[in-house]
Amino acid sequence: MPSFVNESFLWWGLPLVGLPVLIHLINLMRHRRVKWAAMEFLLVSQKRHQKSILFKQLLLLLVRMLAIAAVVFMVAQPLVRNQWGAIFGGSKTHHIVLLDDSFSMSDHWADTSGFDQAKAVVARLAAQAGHQDTPQIFTLLRFSRARRLARGTQPDLLGEPLDANFPAHLEKVLGPMSTSQTAAEPQEAIEAVDRLPPKPQDEDRVIYLISDFRANQWQEPVALRKALHQLDEAGAQIHLINCVDAVHQNLAVTALRPGPGTRAAGVPLLVEVSVRNFGTANARGVSVSLEEDGHARPAIVLEDLPAGKSLTRRFPVLFTTAGEHEIVARLQTDAVAADNSRSLVVDVPKVVDVLVIDGDAKGQDAFFLSTALAPGGKVTSGLKPIVESPRYLRDHALDSFETIYLLNVARLDPGEIAALEAYVKAGGGLGIFMGQLSRADFFNDQLYRGGQGLFPLPLAGPAELVVDRLEKSPDLEVTDHPIFSVFSGERNSFLNSVVVSRYFAAEKNWNPAPDVSTQVIARLRNKAPLAVEHKFGDGRVVAFLTKASPLETSLGSWNNWGRDNPSYVVAMLEMQSYLSASRHPDTSRVVCTPLDVPLDVAKFVPQVRFILPREGGGGTLSVDAAAAAAGHSAVLSETDVSGIYQAQLTGTDASQHVERFAFNVTPEEGDLHKIDAGQLAARLDGIRYEFHQAADIDYNPQQLAGFNLSESLLYCLIALLLGEQVLAYACSYHPSAKGGAR
Amino acid sequence: MPASKRFLHPEAIGRISRLDLRARHIVEGFLSGIHRSPYFGQSVEFLQHREYTPGDDLRHVDWKVWAKQDRYYVKQFEEDTNLRATLLVDVSGSMRYGSGPLDKYEYGCTIAASLAYLLLRQQDAVGCVAFDEAIRVKVPQRTRRSHLNAIVQALSASEPREKTEMQPILRAAAEVYPRRGLMILVSDLLVDRAGLSKGLRLLRQHGHDVIVFHVMDDQELDFSFNGATRFEGLELPQHLACNPRALRAGYLEALGNYLDEVRRGCAKDGVDYVLLRTSQPLDAALAAFLSHRQGKQRD
Repeated sequence: MPSFVNESFLWWGLPLVGLPVLIHLINLMRHRRVKWAAMEFLLVSQKRHQKSILFKQLLLLLVRMLAIAAVVFMVAQPLVRNQWGAIFGGSKTHHIVLLDDSFSMSDHWADTSGFDQAKAVVARLAAQAGHQDTPQIFTLLRFSRARRLARGTQPDLLGEPLDANFPAHLEKVLGPMSTSQTAAEPQEAIEAVDRLPPKPQDEDRVIYLISDFRANQWQEPVALRKALHQLDEAGAQIHLINCVDAVHQNLAVTALRPGPGTRAAGVPLLVEVSVRNFGTANARGVSVSLEEDGHARPAIVLEDLPAGKSLTRRFPVLFTTAGEHEIVARLQTDAVAADNSRSLVVDVPKVVDVLVIDGDAKGQDAFFLSTALAPGGKVTSGLKPIVESPRYLRDHALDSFETIYLLNVARLDPGEIAALEAYVKAGGGLGIFMGQLSRADFFNDQLYRGGQGLFPLPLAGPAELVVDRLEKSPDLEVTDHPIFSVFSGERNSFLNSVVVSRYFAAEKNWNPAPDVSTQVIARLRNKAPLAVEHKFGDGRVVAFLTKASPLETSLGSWNNWGRDNPSYVVAMLEMQSYLSASRHPDTSRVVCTPLDVPLDVAKFVPQVRFILPREGGGGTLSVDAAAAAAGHSAVLSETDVSGIYQAQLTGTDASQHVERFAFNVTPEEGDLHKIDAGQLAARLDGIRYEFHQAADIDYNPQQLAGFNLSESLLYCLIALLLGEQVLAYACSYHPSAKGGAR
Repeated sequence: MPASKRFLHPEAIGRISRLDLRARHIVEGFLSGIHRSPYFGQSVEFLQHREYTPGDDLRHVDWKVWAKQDRYYVKQFEEDTNLRATLLVDVSGSMRYGSGPLDKYEYGCTIAASLAYLLLRQQDAVGCVAFDEAIRVKVPQRTRRSHLNAIVQALSASEPREKTEMQPILRAAAEVYPRRGLMILVSDLLVDRAGLSKGLRLLRQHGHDVIVFHVMDDQELDFSFNGATRFEGLELPQHLACNPRALRAGYLEALGNYLDEVRRGCAKDGVDYVLLRTSQPLDAALAAFLSHRQGKQRD
């Protein structure tokens, strides 16, 4: 049953349909009398045409009644829903508003923002829908909540009837609403429609996707297109409403991470900060202010940051105490505030344990390596080498060591090999130096294992690098690998003075595999590999095919690198940094991802008190630890705000233990480039939708409720009037030039 | 239009109440509009000379006079006086209908009076019969000019009523006027067709020349009524309430068939037939009559 915009007029106007009949009856009563002579012909005519005349007159009467009915209905403006199903019984319209509250919607200009525009659109939609006579219900779902529907979170409004109290209720809901710091995508919101209560048979759904339509979200919207297509096929009307009409200048801190190097108390650490210009104009004099444990430190100024480009700068920090330290980088205010700051938590131990396994009981190789890693005296590297025999690998846990070195090892038993491989696979770093005790057979059979082991290459056996006095090139040729990158650029005389006499040759015709898991990072003068890197599991292995020690052996001296050559110390420290890097995965977390804090219930009370970031208003939240497959853990779901989260664990002895976690926004959300209507149409080809600008959303009630038949009725009326004219002409008298009978 | 013709229109004639004056007005007005004398006959008895005017028959030019005086004169002769004309005027109820200044009865009477005047003026004998379903008034044939008054009185006294029965009337007329002559029937012919045909044939069989002036009103011929109308029969008891626009086509078709039938019947029996609209100038009847007479004289 259609509804009517002016229903009252319908009841006034419908009786007018009987007007032609009334006029006809009045005319019959008011006919004039004529005394007529030629009755004979009149009666003949009447007898002959009685039926056709009656039929034409009834038809004319009907057409006139229909014309009046069409006028009445046209003024009353009947509304029918757009779907055929609605026409045949649909009685309820469900307005589902999917509101983009990702932080790009906070894009502000003048005295408004994209989100303000969106809220105004929601209010207008609700107000207009509320004018309908048919039942209307309203659901409001923010993008940031959409992904949580599966976890039991409810939409902001779910199936609320649009009654007289609804506008006030909506105002209460929308009033305090602000953008989240998520990069929630429209796809999640559209897919969340399926998680709403099932659609009843008599319900028509109108989906409003209110967003800023950033290009990066709609670039190749395969999944998004699929989700929209499903909605379209389900018979829902889809309205895409754009709230931001221009691209504004925006800078974002896209990365803040520790650089390579040993993280230990008292050891300077390089921290990298990256800033990207998402705008369309170059930015000059960009100041990046920095905080170190809450204390401001000198800002970094980027003189020129071209549009669309990213710049990375390193700055050193020195934490004198062990523990977790906070670093925050901030930019000046621009169109979008959420991506202007980024936090980092660095866990700095007092010292970093390094396990050095020396196959020779004399420990000459271990001595040189340990000395290079931890020189002692006033100079601190933060490293603490622990020299052990190979048996240590089997008998002790290796997880606590930042890196492990195998020096001049003759052989390892299977248990030791398994422990070592498990350590590297889990992300550990392994450095290997050969020696007079090393056996090619063992390395090939047990460690290389045809490329399946952790050793990077098959060995042929010890070899000597023939001294050629006419040869002027250095014995050691290095690549741009991070271990040697410190030597790049200007030729380094210290590296050139390295003399290698003996080494383990690779098997003949061996070449590294085409993939990047194995690469030769240094060669000898005769092009034989000297240092080879191999990625094994999550960890890294770097094998030097010569000894770590420059001392004489039973086979003679292997090299002179460790003797009076500073480049040895530098290369070993760089190798240590490189190998330990895989032990420090990126701990940066993205807002709205659950914070899972594992705890040992034997040591801690099974409840964690979370202190939320100051940026989000602070506050604390206690979460009980729950048993999981990997042990007990407390999960904090409310991580909507970027910043530092603290987890306070209380020991069973009442001691307090604090862990810090940095949550940051997804930097790509700060890219404010937009997709226009034409591009959108190309990407959503085949899907029925309507694209609106927020300013244009001033819907008529009939547009919301369905299709207004007024225009169709107008065409019907024109057709009826034309038909009436033709019929009336056929039924009426028209004097012709010929005149009457002659 | 000549000024004299302007006064022959029904609107003008309708203002003249006396029928004899109407007749005089019409005939004199008609005659003044033609150059030739319409009624001087073809007898051998010379009457007078008249100066030639363009249009006169060259056969009547008196060439002797031309030779003497070098001027053209035409010879005029006495018309034969043996013509006996009878005016049969329908005064039935159907003749009472009229949508213009003159109804069919008035129009028909005026024509009859005008013809009587014209005929008397050329010294023909004229009689008159007014009839409906029976002969109501009968005026014998006389040649005196004063006889016009008797005819006019007879027509004026015949108030239309009843319906028409044509066959017995014409039979009676043939019996009343047995000598051959000219029978002029003025009627709307809303009668039984078979009876009409038989009656006319009977007249012809008695040796009469017959001319029929079929008088019809404009509305009867055009049927241009509009709006709901109740038609009530003037002669018949039927009535019909209808939308005349819807019936017009059928009406005109039936009327056209009827007129064609009448025309064919008249032509078949050698009867001159003239359809007159009551909106037509009244001299049309006189012109038709004279044309008829000229044709007969040439025969």
